[in-house]
Amino acid sequence: MFAVETLSLSKRYGKTDALRGLNFTVNEGEIMVILGPNGSGKTTLLMILCTILKPTSGTAKVVGIDVVEDGTKVREVMGIAFQEARGFWRHKPSSILRFHASMFDIDPAKRQDLIERTMKDLELWESRDKMFMHLSGGQAKRLETAKVLIQKPKLAIFDEPTSQVDLRGKRKIWDKIRELRDQGSTIIVATNEVREAEYLADRVTILHQGQRVVCDTIPKLKDAIAGGDIVEVDFEDPVSEKLVGSLNGLGGDVSLSPEGNQLRAKVSKAEDWVPKMTSASYVAGAKIASIRITEPSLDDVFLHFTGKALADQP
Amino acid sequence: MSQLSRLVRIARTDFSYFFRTKWLMAVLISLSLSDMLVVGLVYTRLIPASNAIGSSYFQFLVPGIVVVGLFSAATDTGRRIWLALREGVVQYYLTLPIRTRGLVGAYIISGGLGGIVYSGALLIIAYLSFMLFGAPIPVQGVLYALTLIPFLFVLSTGIAGLAAFFASVSRRGEIYWVYAQALQVSMVTVSTVFYPAQTIAQYLPAPVATIAEYNPLSLAAGVLRNSAFGGNALETGALANLLATSLPLAVIGALAYWIILRTIRLKGKP
Ligand SMILES: Nc1ncnc2c1ncn2[C@@H]1O[C@H](COP(=O)(O)OP(=O)(O)OP(=O)(O)O)[C@@H](O)[C@H]1O
Ligand SMILES: [Mg+2]
Repeated sequence: MFAVETLSLSKRYGKTDALRGLNFTVNEGEIMVILGPNGSGKTTLLMILCTILKPTSGTAKVVGIDVVEDGTKVREVMGIAFQEARGFWRHKPSSILRFHASMFDIDPAKRQDLIERTMKDLELWESRDKMFMHLSGGQAKRLETAKVLIQKPKLAIFDEPTSQVDLRGKRKIWDKIRELRDQGSTIIVATNEVREAEYLADRVTILHQGQRVVCDTIPKLKDAIAGGDIVEVDFEDPVSEKLVGSLNGLGGDVSLSPEGNQLRAKVSKAEDWVPKMTSASYVAGAKIASIRITEPSLDDVFLHFTGKALADQP
Repeated sequence: MSQLSRLVRIARTDFSYFFRTKWLMAVLISLSLSDMLVVGLVYTRLIPASNAIGSSYFQFLVPGIVVVGLFSAATDTGRRIWLALREGVVQYYLTLPIRTRGLVGAYIISGGLGGIVYSGALLIIAYLSFMLFGAPIPVQGVLYALTLIPFLFVLSTGIAGLAAFFASVSRRGEIYWVYAQALQVSMVTVSTVFYPAQTIAQYLPAPVATIAEYNPLSLAAGVLRNSAFGGNALETGALANLLATSLPLAVIGALAYWIILRTIRLKGKP
């Protein structure tokens, strides 16, 4: 059984199609990162999974339970940290957490201790006497995460958990999310930050315009784009169109910077391509200043897939 | 944890919100007390005792002020729903393991509680001020007041429902405050809280007088004057009318709030 499974899931708001026939699965015990640009439908998907939103068509199941048919049961097993923190404005963080814990039957004897520990872990302890409405954006986001950490749900959902959070805080939150997975929770994280995905993901689903573009582990996604390696070549002077033409003939995807002296090529194997390129350049009389070979980053993967999907649009 | 105990927790949290809003408490209490003491005592000098108002205007007005207090506290439910819609807390509530109707019930109940707790406090102050100014309170009166608690609770949920209705139809708009103000003025003005039924019948058209008579605030004020302060036996007719006028309001409010929650589920926002 999948921890989460959606079948041709669609959501339409008025004239906007936020999700378009999405098929999406999450395995039990993994961290699935949903990576997608703004407006790609990440939040919409998560809102449907946590039963706040009704899908327009299609189905979604959480641990085998249908989110429309049996919403209350779904809500018993899942917890969500919202993209925009939501809390009782006139309550202090600990009282918000206590309320949350009581809703999810956290053992009253351990509650206080758990809350204190989690608040300290997320560096919220210093803000314990402030009312929610006086918390900073980042502090409110930490509190949002703390709710789910205390709850330890079967399915934990984090919608951009570290937006507005400082660098140290990001690390803390990421480590805590991993710890939650290690304790047995299934986790979905939505983000548009590639670094976050890189740090957390067991698998990544790239969402674009309400559809799944691709879903795999990060190494496989990197392999999947245009072979594997990226070679960047700096020439001392701008190079001729003719050289670019002949380099294009060597295989791979070559592009030239506007100034004409910097070349970027996506090739399947740098060790085969580079010698051919250097001899072609030598023949054309172009002097090479430097060569850099890099693996594609997840950035490249993200841009590749979301860019390609964009190009596919009519 | 059962659905019921979750409902109670949510109601309690919402209820505590009423008392957390310090400025609101300060305004409410000072208004209630000044109505009771200043207005009551000054007007007593101006208005002679009569059949309609009983032995003094002070004794006529004070039970009415207790009802106005109940009204103000219960209508705060509307403000809290409106805030929850605006601050997005409603969406948080919608992720909790409770049924939608439990959520609706929680708000109506906490509105009922707010009204009863606040007016209960006023009632005690009212009794004390009666003693202070030498007006007698029959012992049975206190017993009748205790008996009235469930009825006042139902009235309070009705008022909360009405406020919930206006909060739901105004969604996140500032128009809510206009509705709230209009509700306050119309319900209190067209009632026998500040003046007896005879006076209304004398100066205003008959339909208005009838509305004032069956206004649940009038019914409650009447019962308080007659029994809780007057010591006369409770009138079942008045109590039945009180329930009959309050319950539909509670239902309307619950329905409106339920519809707004359903709208959020469909459109993603109120
Ligand atoms: N309540 C709503 N009413 C109308 N349109 C909406 C609503 N919520 C979202 N949308 C639209 O649906 C689309 C998907 O929005 P969604 O919030 O799911 O994107 P997202 O991937 O979470 O974006 P972000 O990275 O900015 O958080 C967008 O085009 C958005 O404008
Ligand atoms: Mg989003």
